[in-house]
Amino acid sequence: MSDVVTLTLRAPLTERIDADGLKPDRLASLSRAEMSAIELWHGRSRVPLGDLFDIDGERSSRVRIVGDVRLLDGIGAGMTAGEMIIDGDAGTHVGAEMSGGCIEVLGSAGDDAGLGMAGGSIVIDGQAGDRVAAGLPGAARGMTGGEVIVTGSVGAEAGARMRRGLLFIGGDTGEQVGRDLIAGTIIVRGRSGPEPAIRSKRGTLVAIGGIDVPPTYRYACTYEPPYVRLALVHVRRKYHMDFTRELSSGRYRRFCGDASTIGKGEILEWTST
Amino acid sequence: MELRGVTIENTFAEAFPMRAARIIITARDLYWARFAAVELTGFATSVIGCKCEAAIEHELPPEETPDERPGMSVLLFAMDTESLGKRLIERIGQTVLTCPTTSCFDGLPDADRRVAVGSALRVFGDGFQGSKVIGGERYWRIPVMDGEFLVQESFGAVKGIGGGNFIILGTDLDATLAAAAAAASAIGGSRGVILPFPGGVARSGSKIGSLRYKGVPASTNDAFCPTLQPLTESVLPPDVSSVLELVLDGLDEASIRRAMRAGIEAACRPGIRTITAGNFGGKLGPHHFHLHEIMSGPPTPEGRP
Repeated sequence: MSDVVTLTLRAPLTERIDADGLKPDRLASLSRAEMSAIELWHGRSRVPLGDLFDIDGERSSRVRIVGDVRLLDGIGAGMTAGEMIIDGDAGTHVGAEMSGGCIEVLGSAGDDAGLGMAGGSIVIDGQAGDRVAAGLPGAARGMTGGEVIVTGSVGAEAGARMRRGLLFIGGDTGEQVGRDLIAGTIIVRGRSGPEPAIRSKRGTLVAIGGIDVPPTYRYACTYEPPYVRLALVHVRRKYHMDFTRELSSGRYRRFCGDASTIGKGEILEWTST
Repeated sequence: MELRGVTIENTFAEAFPMRAARIIITARDLYWARFAAVELTGFATSVIGCKCEAAIEHELPPEETPDERPGMSVLLFAMDTESLGKRLIERIGQTVLTCPTTSCFDGLPDADRRVAVGSALRVFGDGFQGSKVIGGERYWRIPVMDGEFLVQESFGAVKGIGGGNFIILGTDLDATLAAAAAAASAIGGSRGVILPFPGGVARSGSKIGSLRYKGVPASTNDAFCPTLQPLTESVLPPDVSSVLELVLDGLDEASIRRAMRAGIEAACRPGIRTITAGNFGGKLGPHHFHLHEIMSGPPTPEGRP
């Protein structure tokens, strides 16, 4: 048993590979030979993991992937426990449908990171593509639990149809962040893109870096929401995020909406005054 | 055993199991957090008449609270988990929810047994309340007139100990009062221990039941009342004119031992004749705090119950 299993990419990937099933809880009980024999989908054919990566260590729930794996999709998808560290950029569907454990991407991630996740945490130390923490195509609900932290900016429809959980975005967002929010919380430190939180039912969108509040939201008051303070302190302490206490102790303009739904959602716009 | 001329009697304090909760109250500043904590712990001296025992444990700096605001830590004890839950709902609902700017958190997150608090208080929101999950814990946001009251859904309920004690026998009220106050001050702020009586001191030591009245659960401890020395089987030395007791509730035996040692050391002052302790011959509870053992052994290591 090793402290960590390290997968080092042998040669740059030239085509997309589906890494669905490459997750720490699966590797935790496997020997080096057994891991090497795991087959990943490569188009319509399969390729053994050992042909793509040098494998160091065995039988560990901590997995580290070294190399440029931007074309490796679905890393950590469906994982229930363990720790996955991606030492660089990652492909699409990182941590999709995961329910436990933690994934740390020391770079950027493609589209659909944390798609439909139910628990655990994903930290992306860079940018993320479209639909981070959103729902699977056709699914009624997006993320239903857990936490996703993106230090940089994200694409469109971040947190769409989210039911529960926390999505923290350190940069800007694309259009329709929090579209069809059912509940849950999205905190955007940068600027929220066009049409934010439209058709939200009960969710919370905390907008720190500017937002154009849709006309279907109504202003309530400017106050200090204790919940936002608690959430920001939690993010700073747990994920060692570096932002000033001014945010957590700040005042927020509360808008209630979306009036096109049951209207129990809210946009909390940070105000420096 | 003697300490600075004060006799430490070879006896023990007898304590009994209780259920305990730790409540963290935060507010915009310590002014309001303290008000809420004082109200929360009011009328909570003895489980006999108040249904619970509670007191402020210590102040909390912002870096030690969940929301980085100044806070107060309170310990509350009841006889069983069900009663503990009821007392928490009553008291947090009437004293913390009502106090401006406060939020209320569980201070025993590792406890296996939980009692519902926020999920009961939420109905005050009349349907306008909402909940959020942060770090795996659910919190309720209840709209109030200064904004929102944030309260954790459930609080930990752990095994605690009630009824640790020591009794100070002095030659006069001034000396005994000063010794008791010094003892309470030495114990004050200790982690895992509270002194539920006024100023940490009780003058109304009690015995179980009554010599005269049926149905009275507790009555004055006549053996320790100086005014009754000629009339009852007094245990007081002839020159003792004043007696005060410190009662301690704690999260574990180690916390109570540490606090008793600090308190007894502080109480050994001029004008004090004897330090003793209250027990019922071992019939009341399984926790026995022997004074000689506490005072002669090595100091109990500082823990974090």
